[in-house]
Amino acid sequence: MNEKNELAPHIEDITRALNEKVSKEQIEEELHNYIDIYGVPLGTAKRAIVKKHEGDPQKLFNSAEKRIEDITGDERSLNLKARIVSINDKEIEVDNEPKSIQYGILGDETGTVSFTAWEKLPIDVEKGDTVGIQNAYANTWNDQAQVNIGTKSTVKHLDDDDVPRFESKVQPCDLKDIREGMRNLSITGRLLSVEKKTVNTKNGEKDLFSGVIADETGKAQFSAWHDFGLETDDVIRVEGGYVRSWRGVPQLSFDDNADVEFLDDDVVPKAEDLKEINILSISELAKRGGAVDAVIDAVMIDIKSGSGLIFRCPECSRVIQKGACRVHGKVDGEPDLRIKGILDDGTGALTVIANRELTEEVLGYDMEKAMDIARDNMNQDVIKDEIEEKLIAQPMKATGNVTSDDYGLMLIANDLNTKTVDVEEEARKLLDEVRV
Amino acid sequence: MSMINREVAWRIFAEEFNRSTLETGGTEERSPSYVVTPLGAKVNRVYVVGVLTETENIGTPAEPMWRARVTDPTGTYFISAGQYQPGVATALANLEPPTFVAVVGKANTYKPDEETTLVNLRGELITEVSEKQRDYWILESAKSLKRRLEAISEAANMDEVSVEELVDLGYDANLADGIKKAMDHYGPPSFEKYWRMIEDSLRYILPEYERKTEEPQEKSEDEEDIEEEILKVIEELEDMAEHDNGVEYEKVMNKVMDSENIGQDKFEEAVNSLRSSGKVYEPVLGNLKIIA
Repeated sequence: MNEKNELAPHIEDITRALNEKVSKEQIEEELHNYIDIYGVPLGTAKRAIVKKHEGDPQKLFNSAEKRIEDITGDERSLNLKARIVSINDKEIEVDNEPKSIQYGILGDETGTVSFTAWEKLPIDVEKGDTVGIQNAYANTWNDQAQVNIGTKSTVKHLDDDDVPRFESKVQPCDLKDIREGMRNLSITGRLLSVEKKTVNTKNGEKDLFSGVIADETGKAQFSAWHDFGLETDDVIRVEGGYVRSWRGVPQLSFDDNADVEFLDDDVVPKAEDLKEINILSISELAKRGGAVDAVIDAVMIDIKSGSGLIFRCPECSRVIQKGACRVHGKVDGEPDLRIKGILDDGTGALTVIANRELTEEVLGYDMEKAMDIARDNMNQDVIKDEIEEKLIAQPMKATGNVTSDDYGLMLIANDLNTKTVDVEEEARKLLDEVRV
Repeated sequence: MSMINREVAWRIFAEEFNRSTLETGGTEERSPSYVVTPLGAKVNRVYVVGVLTETENIGTPAEPMWRARVTDPTGTYFISAGQYQPGVATALANLEPPTFVAVVGKANTYKPDEETTLVNLRGELITEVSEKQRDYWILESAKSLKRRLEAISEAANMDEVSVEELVDLGYDANLADGIKKAMDHYGPPSFEKYWRMIEDSLRYILPEYERKTEEPQEKSEDEEDIEEEILKVIEELEDMAEHDNGVEYEKVMNKVMDSENIGQDKFEEAVNSLRSSGKVYEPVLGNLKIIA
């Protein structure tokens, strides 16, 4: 079962804990015996072998220093030498008590990793300092390893040359490939929109410049936490950006740790050519977790209940059932129109939500008329029936932001139209392709 | 991630789907099961647009069990809808064949005997559509088939089919996994047949080509044997029955499928043939009786 090289680091651990008084070959054989023959869990097996040879199992955890690229995310005791790439303070609340923690990025010549110090570090460290960390632990978050410095960890200053200077590796990345947790990215794109907002943060009011950035491969929402003088239609390169996600959609963030360079206009296609850049298959959307301004070609294969003419609670806008709101009881419902449908393109499926305006377009009449029709039929379901008749089994083109949660992908439509396809033309094209 | 995405609805021609004999469950708890086609589509849900040719309620009015056939240029989908698919059952009761329909259904396998695995669709939705929508479906299905054919051709050239290599070639991980399973279970498919299927189906929707519709074949000896066996079984059961409302369809089906070692579709075909030639009829819903 266990590959030899997978066990190698554990054999190392055991040999070290036993001060190398037992040969590696013997330990390998014993470990193999415990794990593969008797099916004992790895941790227990390691402990047992050390005890058997009269060693101190505690020493198993005094592992050697790890290089950052070797951190797997399941280290229970982790020692490393690193340079502080960035460090920030943060206030959190634990059991209603305010608490200061620190987070940032550690680096060595092999890579970078984010860290969290769950107690303010006992020593003052700044960006660029070299530190030796003992007895930290690692876990993974979003498939990325991260280092945790807890109460049992120690942190001390090192000489500058204890950690080689390294060029922090900026990764050039296409916007279609950004994923939550990435950092130190180099992104080149055109700003399709920029908006200045003032937001309240723990550290007081802060200016936030946000909008949509696009390159030839895709679009993303961005947040700049520093005034770089960004304006709509600027073409920029951000070095040192990182990716956070909101409702499953990866977004580009950058702050004063990042460098922003303004580039010539022709480096990235014109804004109007980027408009339809985001034609995406639904399987691709599922992989990404969502997208800004996505364009979907798919067939409507279901219209869900709660579509058509609905009534909302005037207090909370929840859709009411039989004149009663789940929270506010009997209320005078306010009418609304909407479509909740399933779009499926053969690669995946998502829920599409269309608002009143779009639903009116689909129906070809406004809400007043929908109310009249429902009244004449003494049934509001007739509106849903009509939507079904119009949309089910229709190829559609939908645009909007796609987010994801536990129930899967959801597209909030800005546009929802039945698509006219020249089937014969496409069939001829395909026929030519397969005949070659 | 804990996200549960809705299962995709495959566009797939009836011939490829009906050839499937492999069902695979997911590895995780409560994960859905899939029918794996000879070309590696891992199908949980199907979207098909074709011609509704037959509907039949083999249940009772109170507990309906509707069966329907929907044909595409390559073959026939068998659709079922019972009391748990009330929308589809009601729609089938009201639809008048022949007509173009779009169907969304769950792929389902059943085993009439140890060796045989048959597939059908449990209907989730059925609605009348236009010929245009049917043509678009054929186009989508041809594209989808082409993608699978290309992928499985790559796989057939590998010394050992590797999911990783297929993914590296740009194929979806899910398809790559299906192709590995298909190659293990069915071996390499008849490439020529499926390439021809793409061509034929595309020609079917192009006005410059004449439509080739399959002529109904002469009845084979096998089929005549089955019909005789059905008549024999009905007679036997009628002798034992205490009334003369005929005998239960299911009973006849089970007996004949057993003795002739055939699947449900063969049985249904034979019954339909007997019915249209005026040898049997249904005195009440769900019962068969010989016309004396």
